[in-house]
Parts: sequence; structure tokens; C-alpha cells
Amino acid sequence: MKLLHTKLPDFMKKMYTAATRKYPEKTISIRGLESLHSAKFQSLRTGRIEKAVEEMADREDVASIDFVVLPRVPETMHTVAVKGLDENGKVIKVVLEVMNILHPTEEVEFGDCTDIEDHRPPIGLH
Amino acid sequence: MKYLMFPEGKIDGKMIPVNVIFLNVKDIEAAGMTQDEAIHEVAKRHMEPTAINVFDMDACTTTSDGICIEGAIVRMGASDRGRVNPDFGILPMYGFDFTEERLETERHLIQWKKLFPERRLFRGPDPSKKIIPIHNVVISGRASNNNSATEMMNIITMDEVLYPILGQLESQRGGDLLVGWTGETMSVGIGMTVAEQFGRVFPHPQFKAGQTAHNSGDYAKTLKQWIPCIVADKKTMAKYIIRALDCGCVPGRDIGCSPLNLCTACALGAEIDFDNIADSSWAELNSVGITREALEKPLNLSPAEVIARADELLPGIEDAKKYKASELIREYEL
Repeated sequence: MKLLHTKLPDFMKKMYTAATRKYPEKTISIRGLESLHSAKFQSLRTGRIEKAVEEMADREDVASIDFVVLPRVPETMHTVAVKGLDENGKVIKVVLEVMNILHPTEEVEFGDCTDIEDHRPPIGLH
Repeated sequence: MKYLMFPEGKIDGKMIPVNVIFLNVKDIEAAGMTQDEAIHEVAKRHMEPTAINVFDMDACTTTSDGICIEGAIVRMGASDRGRVNPDFGILPMYGFDFTEERLETERHLIQWKKLFPERRLFRGPDPSKKIIPIHNVVISGRASNNNSATEMMNIITMDEVLYPILGQLESQRGGDLLVGWTGETMSVGIGMTVAEQFGRVFPHPQFKAGQTAHNSGDYAKTLKQWIPCIVADKKTMAKYIIRALDCGCVPGRDIGCSPLNLCTACALGAEIDFDNIADSSWAELNSVGITREALEKPLNLSPAEVIARADELLPGIEDAKKYKASELIREYEL
């Protein structure tokens, strides 16, 4: 099942390639994945997003691409692990807490643009 | 359709990070719109991050520490650059009709029964009808309207304002407002809730009168300390708390053990359920100088005296300046 999910480094590489394969002079910046160190990405959407990036690069009026990953639901729930280590670095105590974080929705990325194509399925119908 | 707005901007060095718009259900109906249509239409007029609260003045609600009051937010919205997010930008509150059964789990609602049982009660949304998992919040772009429309933020600048329900109601009724920092005492008080079904902050009954939702000792007073706050003046707060006490509500047992409820009861010489106040609540109250020893020495003042001397007797927000609502609130026509 090698193709089911995409590795984080592969996902990044795929987006750079989709943007620059035909137009090496065009650039892409990727934001929103900075805090991820290891993660698997949904392959079905990876292909569609590669296609969207390539089609954006195909446009003559597009010089560069700003690629932003935002939480789809603008409240994310996180586990916080407070870990106590001994002098050898061994974990000797852990306290778990929860932290719910509020994020802006996608409108912050639009600027004055009104040409917006929404390919996302409705919430709950993915 | 006329509507009112507290505009974003600085007041006395304090940043109010969003517009706060007040719509009235009767005005919306008279204009032949649905509440959602009204929120969208008003949003188009304001490019700044904006909170849009729809009020039904014939309904009723509760403060987080359990005081019943006339007038309620029945729907909340958020907009940014004129847009309302289609998934997360609007949320209705759940309306209850009065039933005796509700009193069994929410003793503070004896006020509802005694004062205005004919009014529908709105606090927070039905959790099964919202798609944001935890917070009772609507978000559009930068604008976040949280805790059932009493805590607004610009999520990009991360500035925030607390605008409790009584402050919002006085803003519309032309009353007196205080604008200041939330400060240590109110920061503690915000956590002294009552347990409610579909509450303003918590969807299910959690923290009962006498308990603290914050449960963080000395840290509780710092949690909201430096957030700007717009509240009703202390005379108005005293009037509503005294009415709750007259209905038989006891701080620490039926209504929250917030500094304001406790100090009002102490000034009157009204009963306080000292033994039902949790140690974790006492730790937070003591951290802002409110002790059992002091509260056990009632002043035995009359209600009129307490209201007249509210500024002197009751704790509140810090570095506060008093305004007439008309000095701060703008009227618009759609």
C-alpha cells in the first residue's frame, strides 16, 4: 500500500515540481507546514493539489505561487505533554493536558481577489 | 433597518480589535429579512473584522456567574472584509421555554421562574448543531466572536476584547459603560461559573456554583488580566445581583462565587454558602485579596446604599473610565 499516503518531504517536492516543471522561472512558497516534522498526506488530495498547482503555473498572468495550508476547521484540539526528565534525559513524569487553538479562516488569504474556486467538499461529506 | 455598532479602534490606550454590531430581531423582521440575511447584508458594509450579535430583547439570558437578565443574544456572526465564512461565520443559540424540571439541575434559574418565566432563555448553542468542536465561536477571516458572542478577537493581531452580556445590553439601552483592563479580580471571577445546559461557554453542566472553571490557583488572576473589557457600570451590576439575591439565590450555592456576587452579598449582609465554596476557588479569591475572614463581616447596608456606593464597595475592572453609551456607540442605517 505504498501509494496510499504521501510522505511530508515527498509532498513538498511534488508541489515544487508541479509549479516549476514547465516554467523553471516561476516560484512557489509553501507556508503552514513549518511545525510538521513527520506526517503522512492523503494521496487522493495530493494528486488533485499537484494538478491545481500546475494549472496555476500554466496561467500566463501568474508569476509566482503562494501555497498555504490552513486548518479546515478553524479550531484544532491538541494534546500538551509536560514531561519531566532526569539528569540522563529519561522521562520520569508526564502530565497530559489539552489545548484548543483558534485559527483564522481562509478569507485572510484572499486579499481583494474575487476569482475563487472552491474544490473542497462540504464539512462532513468528505 | 437601523443598527448599532461599537467601532474597532483605540480607547484610552486600549485596543478594541473588532467592530461589534448589535442587531435587533424586531428590526430584522420589520425589514423583511431572515437573521442570516441581515448578518450578511450588514457585513457587506464593514471591511474591518466584525462581530455581529442578534438580540431578542423579549428573551432572557444568564451571566456566566448565574445572574438572570432580560435580553439575549439569539444568533452570533463574524465577518471580515465584508465576508461571512459559509461554514463557520454564523451560529444560532438554543432557546429554552421555562420548565420546572430545569430548576432541578440549574438552581439559579429560580430567578427566571420568579421574574419572567414567559421569556425564552438563550445562553449558548446546541452542541449537536455546531461544527466547531469545542468553543462556542464563529470565525470569518481575522474575526472571531467567541464564548457565545461575549469575547471578540482579531486572530491575526491576536488582540481581544471582553464584552460581557450586561455591557452589550447597556450599550443598546443607552446606559453607562466602563472601559478598562479586565484586571486580576474579574479574571478570577470569569471562572466562577454555574453549571448550565447549553451554556455560554460550556455545552453541558460542568462547574457548579462554588467551583472554579479556571482551577489554576495564583495563575487565574493573570489569565485575562491585560485584555480590554467593556462592562456595565457597577450600579447596574449591583442592581441585577441584588435582584438575584432577593429571589433567594445564595452565592456559592445557587449563583457563582465570583468576587462581584460575594462582595455584593457581603455589603448587604446576605447569605453566602461559605462551606460550599471549593478550596480551589478560595485559592483564586484569596489571590486577589478576597478572603472568607473579610466576607464573614457583613456591612448590612440597604440595597439602595449598596447601589449608591457600588463604585466604592464592589470590585471590578482596572484602569476603567466611565462613558455614556451614546459617546461610544454609533447608529447606522442599512
